[in-house]
Amino acid sequence: MATHAIRTRDKDTLARFLGWFSLGLGTAQLLAPKTMCRLVGASGDGLSRHVMRAMGVREATQGIGILTRPRPTTWVWARVAGDALDLSLLGLTAARGNAKRAAFGIVNVVAVTVPDVYEARHLSRKHGPVRGAMHVRKAVTINLPREHVEQAWAACAQELRERLLDAGATVSFTPAPRHGTELAVDLTQDPPAGDLGGAVPKLTGKDLATQLADDLRRFKQLVETGEIARSDATPDGHLLAEHLKQRPAQPVEEVPR
Amino acid sequence: MRALCWEGRNTVEVENVPDPKILNPRDAIVRITSTAICGSDLHLVDGYVPTMKKGDVLGHEFMGEVVEVGSGVSNLQVGDRVVVPFPIACGACLACEREQYSVCENTNPNARLAEKLWGFPTAGVFGYSHLTGGYAGGQAEYARVPFADVGPIKLENGFSDEQVLFLSDIFPTGYQAAETCDLRGGEVVAIWGAGPVGQLAAASARLLGAERVIVIDRFEYRLRVAEQNTGAETLDYEEVDRVPEALKELTGGRGPDACIDAVGLEAHHHGPLYAYDRVKQAMRQETERPFALRESIISCRPGGVVSVIGVYGGLVDKFPMGAVMNKGLTIRSGQCHVHRYLRPLLERVQNGEIDPSFIVTHRLPLDDAPQGYELFKNKEDDCLKVVLTP
Repeated sequence: MATHAIRTRDKDTLARFLGWFSLGLGTAQLLAPKTMCRLVGASGDGLSRHVMRAMGVREATQGIGILTRPRPTTWVWARVAGDALDLSLLGLTAARGNAKRAAFGIVNVVAVTVPDVYEARHLSRKHGPVRGAMHVRKAVTINLPREHVEQAWAACAQELRERLLDAGATVSFTPAPRHGTELAVDLTQDPPAGDLGGAVPKLTGKDLATQLADDLRRFKQLVETGEIARSDATPDGHLLAEHLKQRPAQPVEEVPR
Repeated sequence: MRALCWEGRNTVEVENVPDPKILNPRDAIVRITSTAICGSDLHLVDGYVPTMKKGDVLGHEFMGEVVEVGSGVSNLQVGDRVVVPFPIACGACLACEREQYSVCENTNPNARLAEKLWGFPTAGVFGYSHLTGGYAGGQAEYARVPFADVGPIKLENGFSDEQVLFLSDIFPTGYQAAETCDLRGGEVVAIWGAGPVGQLAAASARLLGAERVIVIDRFEYRLRVAEQNTGAETLDYEEVDRVPEALKELTGGRGPDACIDAVGLEAHHHGPLYAYDRVKQAMRQETERPFALRESIISCRPGGVVSVIGVYGGLVDKFPMGAVMNKGLTIRSGQCHVHRYLRPLLERVQNGEIDPSFIVTHRLPLDDAPQGYELFKNKEDDCLKVVLTP
């Protein structure tokens, strides 16, 4: 089973910088709210500390959003809105407490608001498809001539073909050395919650790419041998999602299906 | 039925488990008449091979009588007496077409696990961890044999079980080790390990034309068996300072033409390097203690062959790659492609060229299998090979 995944991403170093900046600042606000409060002239007690923490959550969320989305236009605009909120809070602090320190904070926020607005406008102007998804190729070589493999694909892989069609995947058959056939499936994956959102189904073997790998392996078995290899531990054959809850390698009570 | 199950590190028990059933058209069910404990079973019992699960039925050397066949098996009939090869092979993939049956592409339902560890999956194996498929083994009353139209060899002559049982694994395994040494006649072959595979590798090397075979071990009774049955010379490594030097001395300074490592990942030795391996293995910094492998590489003459048939699972440390490269050694290795050797070796048994049953020292009923494991593991009572009868 060959698996090849290529990440094509809009090359945007400024957006990535802003993402990491958000994550870093947010972490500092979450872990050391008192110090951060004092830095901008707030008391660091009571309400101000809670506000600082809340702002930290906001910053960190924006950071993760920017870093995981292929074209994070909304997330960068969210930063601009966040900057406005920060500036008004700092204005309030200047009126009530240490004006000098608050002014220091305001200067810093403005310094980052400029690139935020610039980047948000830049991303908003971008057109064309998002180039951030993962291009995945899965391939197996089947030890039979091409006509035979194509016929088998048309005859017995209906459910799989439909799923691939839904996912916009392309399937190709190429003659492989000797008399084999390379069956390759190319698809583009862009999980809605970005890389992090995609990680959970991937770990449990429930993402499309992993299921596709299972399906191709089973298709190869079926075409080459006429059956799906079943062991006592995995009587349903190869399914990655089932790997972690295998039964012991001893005969089954009931013959499955 | 009764079956020997792995219950945890260093614990095996005979239990009642469900009878095997036909799951696929190309399956057969075999009533087992003889089964053996293999050296590699000890690696599983010790817990050195990962992915064992409590309740796994062990055993991959077995033979018996066909009691049921699936609709896709036409070459076997109920009542046929068969020996079953330990790797499960489909007979249709490119690996099988090339007669590399132990790396069959289709028979390991846990292919992804093996792929992560070794880059590619290997064939399914009976009773040999979940990494090789999670198939129930043959230290039991019955076994389900997948792809029964490809693997089992039908016995038509009146051989005793013990004469042919070892065709399932250790005889072809030892034979493959010797065959891959590229023997053309007149060579000196050194073999590390006088266990069952080492013994049969020694006998095979002689069959294939080696002029001298030197077997290295520390158990006097095992060396004696090799001397008496394979025509090998022996070397007790506890009696010499350094094995490579001793081998040089025995070969007029030339070194063996081929070296066979029939020891594998749990090698024993003395000295600081052994302590080093034990500590690293205990701390999971390396998975093997490759002492025999290192020694065979250092001992081999320039341009010679090192044939690794002892089992390894993961990573080794202090591997003398410089010696391999600069001496121009050829390393051969692999789980045995048993199917390839079944017929030719059965013919050799039939012609009286060899009787592999010389290695059997203990015969026990299946219910005493845990005791058999203890004897074999601790090398008590001059134990060399245990055959179990269900």
